Amino acid sequence: MKFGGTSVATLPRWQNILELVASRRAEGARVLVVVSALSGITDALKQMCAQEDKGKRIEAAKAIAQRHYDLLDHMQLAVPGTLADRLAELAQLAEDGPSLLGELAWSALVQAHGELMSSALGSAFLTHSGLPTQWVDARDCLSAIALPNQNERTKLLSAMVECKPDPALNARLAEWGEVFITQGFIARESQGRTVLLGRGGSDTSASYFGALLKAQRVEIWTDVAGMFTANPRQVPSARLLQRLDYEEAQEIASTGAKVLHPRCLSPLREPRVPLLIKDTNRPELEGTFIGPEVREHAPSVKAISARKGITLVSMESVGMWQQVGFLADVFANFKQHGLSVDMIGSAETNVTVSLDPTENLLDSDALAALASDLAKVCRVKVIAPCAAITLVGRGMRSMLHTLSSVLAEFGQLRVHMISQSSNNLNLTFVVDENVVDELLPHLHELLITAGALRTDDSALFGPSWQALYGSGEVLPPTASWWRDGRRADLLKLGAEHTPRYVYHLPTVRQQARELKTLAAVDRLHYAVKANTHPAILKALAEEGFGFECVSPGELKAVMAVVPESAPLLFTPNFAPREDYEWALTTRATLSLDSIYQLEHWGEVFRGREIVLRLDLGRGLGHHEKVRTGGSGSKFGLPVEQLDAFLRLADTHGVTVRGLHAHLGSGILDDGHWGEVYGQLASIAERIGSVTFLDIGGGLGVPSHPGEARLDIAALDKVLREVKAAYPHYKLWMEPGRYLVADAGVLLTKVTQTKGKGNGTIRYLGVDTGMNSLIRPALYEAWHEIVNLTRLDEEATALFQVVGPICESGDVLGTDRRLPEPQEGDVMLVAQAGAYGKVMSSPYNLRDEAEEIILE
Amino acid sequence: MTTNINPRLTQVFRFVRCSYANGVAELVYAFDHGEELTERVTFPHAPALPASHQAAFDEALKLLHLIAGVSYYKAGVPPRIEVAGGRLDDATANLLDALYLHGLAEFAYRNGLDLRGRIAFPRGGAAKPEAKALKLPHRTLVPIGGGKDSLVAVEAIKSIGGEATAVWVGNSPLIAACAERTGLPTLNIQRELAPGLFELNRLGAWNGHIPVTAVNSAILAVAAILYGFDSIAFANERSASAATLEYEGQLVNHQWSKGYTFEALLGDWLHQHVAADLDYCSLLRPYSELAVTRTFARLTLYFDAFSSCNRNFKILGPKPADRWCGQCPKCHFVFLALAPFLAKPRLLSIFGRNLLDDENLAAGFDALLEYQDHKPFECVGEGAEARAAMYALSQRSEWQEDALVARFRSEILPQLDEKELAIEPWLQPSPDHRIPSRLQPALAFFG
Repeated sequence: MKFGGTSVATLPRWQNILELVASRRAEGARVLVVVSALSGITDALKQMCAQEDKGKRIEAAKAIAQRHYDLLDHMQLAVPGTLADRLAELAQLAEDGPSLLGELAWSALVQAHGELMSSALGSAFLTHSGLPTQWVDARDCLSAIALPNQNERTKLLSAMVECKPDPALNARLAEWGEVFITQGFIARESQGRTVLLGRGGSDTSASYFGALLKAQRVEIWTDVAGMFTANPRQVPSARLLQRLDYEEAQEIASTGAKVLHPRCLSPLREPRVPLLIKDTNRPELEGTFIGPEVREHAPSVKAISARKGITLVSMESVGMWQQVGFLADVFANFKQHGLSVDMIGSAETNVTVSLDPTENLLDSDALAALASDLAKVCRVKVIAPCAAITLVGRGMRSMLHTLSSVLAEFGQLRVHMISQSSNNLNLTFVVDENVVDELLPHLHELLITAGALRTDDSALFGPSWQALYGSGEVLPPTASWWRDGRRADLLKLGAEHTPRYVYHLPTVRQQARELKTLAAVDRLHYAVKANTHPAILKALAEEGFGFECVSPGELKAVMAVVPESAPLLFTPNFAPREDYEWALTTRATLSLDSIYQLEHWGEVFRGREIVLRLDLGRGLGHHEKVRTGGSGSKFGLPVEQLDAFLRLADTHGVTVRGLHAHLGSGILDDGHWGEVYGQLASIAERIGSVTFLDIGGGLGVPSHPGEARLDIAALDKVLREVKAAYPHYKLWMEPGRYLVADAGVLLTKVTQTKGKGNGTIRYLGVDTGMNSLIRPALYEAWHEIVNLTRLDEEATALFQVVGPICESGDVLGTDRRLPEPQEGDVMLVAQAGAYGKVMSSPYNLRDEAEEIILE
Repeated sequence: MTTNINPRLTQVFRFVRCSYANGVAELVYAFDHGEELTERVTFPHAPALPASHQAAFDEALKLLHLIAGVSYYKAGVPPRIEVAGGRLDDATANLLDALYLHGLAEFAYRNGLDLRGRIAFPRGGAAKPEAKALKLPHRTLVPIGGGKDSLVAVEAIKSIGGEATAVWVGNSPLIAACAERTGLPTLNIQRELAPGLFELNRLGAWNGHIPVTAVNSAILAVAAILYGFDSIAFANERSASAATLEYEGQLVNHQWSKGYTFEALLGDWLHQHVAADLDYCSLLRPYSELAVTRTFARLTLYFDAFSSCNRNFKILGPKPADRWCGQCPKCHFVFLALAPFLAKPRLLSIFGRNLLDDENLAAGFDALLEYQDHKPFECVGEGAEARAAMYALSQRSEWQEDALVARFRSEILPQLDEKELAIEPWLQPSPDHRIPSRLQPALAFFG
């Protein structure tokens, strides 16, 4: 059992260790505890080593001793003899300085004292607390080996130990006791000098001991429950990985996960000793179990990671690569300039390699010198800053077909290099660094949606980081009006006639009221394109919403039902001149989004106040087609044309009263609106006439089970922060789907079933499809589908739920686990309140779905 | 506030009055007989003013009133200027006429106005006797802007053990973060524009660039007397004196109030009217942008804190994109000017992207090089300086394949004389500066 620096720094943490060790002891295991130095002590020792003044060294040693005295005091323990010896030795080392032992050996010995002291202290505490614990000097067990290419520094400060199971050591310990404590980070070399194991050293020590003793398992106790499918700081919805094999775990650790140093896995592989990562504060959590490969799981991507600060060197040459020794000469240049190559990608005329961010790379002339040497033999291009995005999972190549949506995502970026090695464990894309922060959560989501990251396998994937450490709330299966309160009504409606859309007005109102809690927002407009049913428009008008319309038709529909007092926005895109002219005869506030409109129809707008829709140069959202920012999107005026637009506006006496940006739909990250808001505000400061900012909508509605809802309180906080910086601008928003998606369902009936491929693929046919609900076909949108007639029956088989339209894309849902259906069962497609009926079509001349309102 | 005037049709701009009490200066202006526009400048923890400094303070405050008026005057640019309290002495009127004409030259160009002959401060008042020395303490106010220049100035003064305070006007978290990073004592002065100005903007006021460095300089002159500093050391380079373009016979310089002419005008005015021992200078005046970026390239301490980007980042984030927009001329210029002096990966880590490998930015860099365009209206170096930096990169293997460097090599370089593209001449200091002898040893910092 290994415990790190913060775990051994205080009395409560030691009490925790005591409990954990006792519990393992109670299971009948003998326990070897490996500890790090008290947190901060290793750094203090390093500083002491750098100190040339003897007096100051002695002072530093005293301060370090005091830290241990203080903790002992807290434990109400006297200074144990083992610790007193160590402290005396440290004081002597401070006194002597490096001259006697030599700089490096002295420094190694000084630093080793951190662990020597913490373990001595721990031995006393555990023994005193009723758990007799023997202090073991790790240096007597771990012998460093000499390696070729080792200099004195690496030999002493980042040593390696070769570990074969050592039954003699086992026997020795068995005679001696049941519980032992020893040091991480340190070992002894052939001349008897103390050496350090370098970075990740304490975890590695634990592994060495695990291998030496052929332990039942190695447990790394830390402050997080294990490895996750992605870095939780970047992807809060990352899931705990509960089962990994050594190679996968090593790959994940090497490509980003900080919880475990990659080098600590290899000693365990041969003796097949499993390693378990556990959270000291939450021992009840499963943790991550790493062991030999197992075959009973479906192939799955296990994790996605990103490493930043990567520099690529691309070398272009015609016909040279085939010459014997050419590449060897090229790589000799890298060696000569002290730059180590990580990934390599090659084509007939190009070899591209990646360099990790090292001090040598960042702050010396090494790269410039390398480039000028390489330029003698080929064309060199240095590409940076890049990030390597890596998908890790055993059998990556067999999963390629599931990755199409992920690959499509990369298709929109500058991918500089793709690397896949023969161990078939990873697939790496090198892209521009600045896209990574937004890309990673999106890719993680895509991997789940695409079925490449099989989070449905609960043996492999645990809860999300957000559920474990975020708000702490585990999401209950979403309560929904159609499941709980109104099911009988829906069954009756479905029995009468299908297909039917049913809208639940109380849900619309509830969503509207939730958004009204956003204190920073001064005005909310309902984006009516989501659903133009008059009852919904009326309900939202009653809630005080304004209305955002994109066509004269929508404006007319709204004006027919809402009172005169409700504010109207007209925000068309590529609309004809007549639309603008007509809209100017209404009370709607008009938005423009291109130079053309002022250049060619400027006089139409003379003396008017308008809203300018900007393209902030990037887009977000759950699918390419719902993204509305970035040059690949037809919306908005590019920021670089702003000055030209303003000059034209001035010429035509047009006043820009508001700025608007809308980056996409289905966004679940609350920080995003803060960024858009802040960016708009900083642009508005250049335009005197602006009084309000419209940050659009796009508030995401989670569709997959377990997906976290948008945190409205957090969003409010983000918006209020920006508002505090820019109080002089009113803030507008334009939610659409958020208000109505959950309020609507589509009812349809089972028409038949069909089996293909020896019954491995089963189709469940219903009486409407993409003609009523096109989102699954258009955006690969995921809608929950249930058999309302058999809601309480066990879901036994996987179905492709398809409609009657003559298109192979007429699929409402793939791989849905449902009860065995009967012809005539009422099926319910959830979250169909937004972009359902309004996007339906008469294709195949099938009857259109009716719309029913539930109060 | 309900005003219904059209600012562009106003006839008189009036300097109504100014006052100071309890750390707050109130500067009052008006158009015609419209409502008063009151700007407030707040000096935190202001000490009581010794009687011996009162006259100097009053002069400095009066100048601040006159200079800060430029923000309001430009809303209407009326034909007449009136100053309550009567005519100005000729030196003062000269300073203000020059400042309003040249400092608003870009504003006039952009709005298609001609201010020549329109700006005339009332002159002919009696000249005051020369100001005396006030035995001001030997310490320096160093205005911090968040960019590289002021940080170089700070480090230069620190290098000679000079006593200095990092000072800035307004609420910028970026500047606050940089000021803190300097380790110097800090002074944050607040300037609150008259709310009526926003209203005028809504009513269609003229809008555009104002010589903000002049306003800040006047604020610091007041602060120097109030808190006791004998010097104000700005960080304006040599290139700030170069004009951006010539328009109908008038030179237009975006950075006029950062230029040497203004420095000399204000410096002399302060010696005559405020205190013989209050020095106003730019510590970077002898140097080109390139000489400054070369010096800055040593100051790793600031790499993850500074930004010269002209977007106003009121909310700071940890990512490079939260400090560098990558789109504006300042971003382009600083990237280009630092590139010859930093390891490429380090430079790219500061900006978070490689601006020289983005073809979409070709027009922006062309403008810096004064290729097919005039220099941008920004505080950026001279075209020849940018060309020298670009030329240096075009000779370096790790840069020359990047899109815009390659384009420079194939398209622009053949039209240039390589002899004029050396970087070394730009690293030589020029002799013109007004740095007081007490601070001159700091120039050794530039190596």
